[in-house]
Amino acid sequence: MSGILIYTSIIEGAVSTPTKEVSGMARAIAAKTGDSVAAALVGSEVTDLASELIASGVDQVYICDDVKLGEFCANLYLQALEVIVEKAAPRIVLIPGEATGADLAPRLAQRIKGGLVTDCIDYEISGDAVIYTKPVYGSKALARIRITTPISLVTVRPRTQEVYPPEADRSGETTRLEAALDSMAPDTTIMERMEEEVLECSLEEANVVVSGGRGLQNAEAFEQLRQLAGLLNGAVGATRVAVDQALVPPSCQIGLTGKIVAPDLYFAIGLSGASQHIAGMSGSKYIVAINSDEEAPIFDISNVGVVEDFRNVLPVLIAELKKHLSKS
Amino acid sequence: MHIVVCVKQIIDPEIPSAEFRIDFEARRAVEGQSKQVLNPYDGNALEVALQLKDRHEETNVTVMTVGPESDQKVLRHALAMGCDDAIWLKDDGFDNLDSHGTAQVLARGIQKAGLPDIVLCGRQAGDWDMGQVGLRIGEALGITCVSLAYNIEYDDGRLRLRRETDRGAEIVEAGLPLLATITNDQSNQPRYSTVKGIMAAKRKEIPIWSAQELELDRDAIEPVVVVDELVVPSYERQVMFIDGQDGSEKAIQLAEHLIKMNLFT
Repeated sequence: MSGILIYTSIIEGAVSTPTKEVSGMARAIAAKTGDSVAAALVGSEVTDLASELIASGVDQVYICDDVKLGEFCANLYLQALEVIVEKAAPRIVLIPGEATGADLAPRLAQRIKGGLVTDCIDYEISGDAVIYTKPVYGSKALARIRITTPISLVTVRPRTQEVYPPEADRSGETTRLEAALDSMAPDTTIMERMEEEVLECSLEEANVVVSGGRGLQNAEAFEQLRQLAGLLNGAVGATRVAVDQALVPPSCQIGLTGKIVAPDLYFAIGLSGASQHIAGMSGSKYIVAINSDEEAPIFDISNVGVVEDFRNVLPVLIAELKKHLSKS
Repeated sequence: MHIVVCVKQIIDPEIPSAEFRIDFEARRAVEGQSKQVLNPYDGNALEVALQLKDRHEETNVTVMTVGPESDQKVLRHALAMGCDDAIWLKDDGFDNLDSHGTAQVLARGIQKAGLPDIVLCGRQAGDWDMGQVGLRIGEALGITCVSLAYNIEYDDGRLRLRRETDRGAEIVEAGLPLLATITNDQSNQPRYSTVKGIMAAKRKEIPIWSAQELELDRDAIEPVVVVDELVVPSYERQVMFIDGQDGSEKAIQLAEHLIKMNLFT
């Protein structure tokens, strides 16, 4: 077994950015180990995407293009991936850590008898071996982990790796593979899909994020956060507690099991700063914390702190910023 | 209907970073001031199971864990919440299992108990955050898997699961038997135990199954990943506190500071 195989996640008909980041990571490993870099391209009418993968650093694309693979269905995709893995015989399989990757990786690992490290954010190379870093204990610690099986699998956290600068004239090979897709085997049917309402701007892209937590206590309080976010063309985020209390929809959750954000400006309002939340926002450039408890750990990781009940601060802050922004 | 819920006892994931301690030699967190708790997502999984039991007669919920002496506490906790039975998979050989090994042990335990209609696991454990034991069990058992579900309804031999996706949610219909990993939602916040439940849980006999009883080979549960090192990262910044007599004054100061820092472009 040799070489690195990456899994291609496709979003709205295009190769996803996390896939290109994983390709960049594969190239960086290959530069030191001499491994080849291949990609698994699975879906319906996806063959055209192969050139984009090759431009993004892939040497060889294994394509499984089948009408049955139009909608993401883990059971069918796994059957296709097994065929590709058998053909490519990689020693490392890198998977972008989006929801689809997190869904596929453990099952593929069990099927192909590989060790798996999930949510990898960094790595180092020692000889031929790769040691993967992942946050553990709610991001209070980082573990460096080695995989001892002949084939190793890794899911990679989005936005932790550099993409390979695209080269339009890069050459590579494509191989089409057929998988005997048994659509009877997975006994699941998707009945309905509910896409979250697309807000003014998405949380991950926002330059300003205004987040609330347990201290907000009711959904009305989030209205004030929305006002501040609206004023600054930002987005509203929340802690897991606020989501569990149904103050905001789950799509607002920031943290280890929510979204990972790194805006220019982050407002942490009425939230204490549990490590699981910090895991999702510690990369923010400038952090402002407003909390009535001066002992709250959020202040330790903030640039500016206001020890006060946010209800006494936000209306005036919003008014002051409005004044300033209308001037400029 | 028979439901098995797999649970894990972990060091309280809510403890503040300041109280978090690591045994660097053993490459694991030490209990110290913190306490051992039920993994929160497993609490959500138990709640989903118990809601199915509330709605459907003749539903049996069995809770299962693999782990050392102290892990019996989570089984009693689950029984007190309303589970009917508990099974403890315990063996000296189970002390240093990784996700792969844990999944093989639990899969064997589930098979020995008789393949149930539904297997539920938390989406991930709040200690190692690996998120792979549940789906590995499903694969080992060769049954349908649905990940990141938060709500399950049963009707006439079919299940309707609501699950989280990258871009929102979806409803999936599936047949039995099925394994689902459960994520948190307002609808599955774990219930409190009743006094009656706690009393009954104390008296309940919990069978213990060893590696031998599970007919498990040592080779099958050998670690496939090795932790080389565990380190504590620091996200600390030098914080500047805003002064002021009251909230309004602090708000004005804060606005001035943010404007001066040129944070709005």
